[in-house]
Amino acid sequence: MGIWDTITDLFEAATPWTTAEAEAPAQEEEQKEEVTETKEDEPEAEEATEEEEEEEEEEEEEEDEEEEIVDPKDKLEEECRESKQCFPAKHHFDECVDRVTNASGNGEGKEDCVEEFFHLAHCATQCAAPKLWSVLK
Amino acid sequence: MLARSCLRSTRAIASARNGVVNISKRAASSSSSGAAADSPLRMNIAAAAATAVAAGSIAWYYHLYGPTAHAMTPAEEGLHPTKYPWVHEQWLKTFDHQALRRGFQVYREVCASCHSLNRVPYRSLVGTILTVDEAKALAEENEYDTEPNDEGEIEKRPGKLSDYIPAPYKNDEAARFANNGALPPDLSLIVKARHGGCNYIFSLLTGYPEEPPAGASVGEGLNFNPYFPGTGIAMARVLYDGLVDYEDETPASASQMAKDVTEFLNWAAEPEMDDRKRMGMKILVVTSVLFAVSVWVKRYKWAWLKSRKIVYDPPKATKHTTRH
Repeated sequence: MGIWDTITDLFEAATPWTTAEAEAPAQEEEQKEEVTETKEDEPEAEEATEEEEEEEEEEEEEEDEEEEIVDPKDKLEEECRESKQCFPAKHHFDECVDRVTNASGNGEGKEDCVEEFFHLAHCATQCAAPKLWSVLK
Repeated sequence: MLARSCLRSTRAIASARNGVVNISKRAASSSSSGAAADSPLRMNIAAAAATAVAAGSIAWYYHLYGPTAHAMTPAEEGLHPTKYPWVHEQWLKTFDHQALRRGFQVYREVCASCHSLNRVPYRSLVGTILTVDEAKALAEENEYDTEPNDEGEIEKRPGKLSDYIPAPYKNDEAARFANNGALPPDLSLIVKARHGGCNYIFSLLTGYPEEPPAGASVGEGLNFNPYFPGTGIAMARVLYDGLVDYEDETPASASQMAKDVTEFLNWAAEPEMDDRKRMGMKILVVTSVLFAVSVWVKRYKWAWLKSRKIVYDPPKATKHTTRH
């Protein structure tokens, strides 16, 4: 990258009629790989054991990261369900669940709570939608 | 329709009320002149009768057309998806192509085992989702039929950019057989093909509750999903947190994957969207320029007419008439 490249890059960024080319930076990656290979070859057997330990730690960290992923949608909707805004829907849903679970014991289980569930889900997703989009990429 | 007729009727009632007042006033004034054929009482009765007819017509209309009969239960309709603020649905926004790349990864690793993408060739991925070399490498992973050779045999060749993404099953019957009788729909145009579009797809993918609500009946081999009409869907929940490892290290939560794959499917259904919006912008630019030009041309063409002055000097009786 000479100074001329910088100037042309700036010029191209400023002009709206230039097009961005989707080409893979293949050559640079290959060079990097070669460099890393040579570096890996250099250290002797003593360092190799240390590296293995480090790798194990890294693996553990990765596993931890995977476990840590919490779906923001679930979290936000749970908060919304508990919020004041969705209180009537949640109240009706809970009441229906109680009624239906008690009634099914008596053999009268004809009613279902789908409609109440819909109202609650609608309220919760509606409330969580803008928050969710601010979190997701 | 009903609301409009109600509005009209309230207006009618108001005018009728005004009419009563006006009529009584006029009656008072006309009685003084002594030519009163209508007594105030009769006029009031007429107004009251007219009002009663108006109100009655509303009641009759409501009786006939007011209450709508719902033949379907809410469960059969399915829960209407929530509207999400998709960026790419705004008028002057393009697809997020990094999201498309992630979404294509999700499609390949998760959806492609059951759902085909028959209308998308590898060449359309070039420049929008993959680079040329990546798309070529991906195409070469699959084999396609060649033209018949000299002996009439059809051989196999590695895929090219012009080939279409292969389907997981040979035909619909095979797909049904493998999926317990349920046909996984082709996803090429699914965003256009479903009411609610992106919102529906996203809600469906993320909307599986942990357990169906109390009392809900779920058929054998079906799963409860509130957004699917009928709530019993053959597809089980597939997106779980951390299912995919994104190459750009975005945390792969279930909703993130659903969002990415929905945007990808929107691209698959409308690959021309970015160009279409650019074309719209071009049209706005060109028409605004043409409009401005036409305004100036109009001013120029009308200048002689707008700036002329007409003077009329009547002929005078005197000898000397001046002319300008």
